[in-house]
Amino acid sequence: MGKIPPSFRSALTNPNLRKPSSLFPQPKPPNNPHNFPEKKSPKFPGKSRTPNPQQPLSLFKSPNLEDAKTILNSLTNNDPRFLHSLLQSFASISSTTTDSIAFLRHITKTFPSFSPDRSTYHILLSNSPNSISSIHQTLNSMLSAGITPDKVTVDIAVRTLCSAGQVDDAVQILKELCSKHCCCDTNTLNFLVKNLCKCRSLSTVYAFIDEMKAEFGVKPDLVTYTILIDNVCNGKNLREALRLVTVLHEEGFKPDCFVYNTIMKGYCVLSKGSEAIEVYNKMKEEGVEPDLVTYNTLIFGLSKSGRVVEAKKLLRVMGEKGYFPDEVTYTSLMNGMCRKGDALAAVALLSEMEAKGCSPNSCTYNTLVHGLCKSRLLEKAVEFYGVMKSGGMKLETASYATLVRALCRDGRVAEAYEVFDYAVGSKSLTDVAAYSTLESTLKWLKKAKEQGLAV
Amino acid sequence: MLPQRMKKAITDNPKKLANLIDLVNLPSTLREFVGQSQISRLGCFMSVWSYIKTNNLQDPNNKNVVNCDEKLKSILLGKPQVELAELPALIKMHFPKEPK
Repeated sequence: MGKIPPSFRSALTNPNLRKPSSLFPQPKPPNNPHNFPEKKSPKFPGKSRTPNPQQPLSLFKSPNLEDAKTILNSLTNNDPRFLHSLLQSFASISSTTTDSIAFLRHITKTFPSFSPDRSTYHILLSNSPNSISSIHQTLNSMLSAGITPDKVTVDIAVRTLCSAGQVDDAVQILKELCSKHCCCDTNTLNFLVKNLCKCRSLSTVYAFIDEMKAEFGVKPDLVTYTILIDNVCNGKNLREALRLVTVLHEEGFKPDCFVYNTIMKGYCVLSKGSEAIEVYNKMKEEGVEPDLVTYNTLIFGLSKSGRVVEAKKLLRVMGEKGYFPDEVTYTSLMNGMCRKGDALAAVALLSEMEAKGCSPNSCTYNTLVHGLCKSRLLEKAVEFYGVMKSGGMKLETASYATLVRALCRDGRVAEAYEVFDYAVGSKSLTDVAAYSTLESTLKWLKKAKEQGLAV
Repeated sequence: MLPQRMKKAITDNPKKLANLIDLVNLPSTLREFVGQSQISRLGCFMSVWSYIKTNNLQDPNNKNVVNCDEKLKSILLGKPQVELAELPALIKMHFPKEPK
């Protein structure tokens, strides 16, 4: 590292100032089986050429260009990686692209041995202040330096715009770059499709995919279809999902585990256990090996449609296949038991789960509190609420409401107020939601008392 | 689930939410208690409840009952004792529905 004026040393060692760059995707947390499959792992071929992601420098404190230049002049290190870090650091706080580009120009002037390459511009792109004009500006300066954009450039530009919520601009820039310079790959297409699905109508998304296919030859792949199916399933439009599956077959793709899991989830969310089982059987027929997510989905779906016995059987099948049930599996099962009104069995399952070394999460406790209150086992519910409180876990809307209601019904209003305080204090719910529940419960209590229904 | 539900609650019943969080000009008795000239019904409840907690006004034998001190009496109809269960209703009385 170069010579750094003492006044800036604190900035280097302060871990709070580290800002992970958007260029380097953070390692994804292990796939939560409730969030459905996302197979895409964004790949950046340019990654190896860019500076070390572990140490993004936060050297610059002000977005002022002149200050940055002064600091740069006091440095002697001309290692390109170090200069890239500097650029990254400045671009991340700089307010305009003009400043960032001017700073890059200043770097090249100060260190003639340093020649910007594609990754240099990628740094600028990923730190652009999220508007299409600044992306254009960066791309223009890249072109005038004689560097043509490649797939990675397209990908970064699209991701930067999408992360700012400007999906339409991202589509525009993608088309521009594809028609002028080079094609994008399916990763970029999929990323954009996923973002489009969130905020645009299905017909827009289809039109976009068709256009990409017809004009630029970027064909949707299995992941694209999975994203689409997931999207229509979330919209409870299963007919469209099945149509997509036939399209998938026509295009010559063989549905994989993820596609099946997604469809199964669609059915399970609608409590259609039998259809989910059908998908599962079809999957086995086709010789696709079910994975942990498949079993979790199926157990969730069966529990939801009240078929706990079958769900339990599946738990055994799962074990035979060598998959260890996790907290999601157990919580789904507990949910099913609670729905049946057998909260004590759910509590028994909790100890079984803990005995197997699987630790419950806040969702598990929420399910139990909810179920126990419903089965009028208030003491036990309060006990689990205590566990949640000591673990700092958040209450969910349903379990909060049932707990408050159960406490009020037993004439333990003070405790209900305490739960209210905890819900507000732990930011489980908004103040408004928590208070509305409390208020309406107390109103209901008054009525119930008048009719002699509550204590 | 929460945001969705909240959204639904708001779109279903915007008035209900509004009269919970809208700032209201307070009558003089309440103004003295909260120390502000405007407050929402939610804010008012929160400040009364936290006043009860900080001054330990809950009856030690029966936590569901609040023994009012002079200041609290002035805003809760002058009752010497109120039940916690009726607190929201009592506070609501200071926030009459606006005539259309």
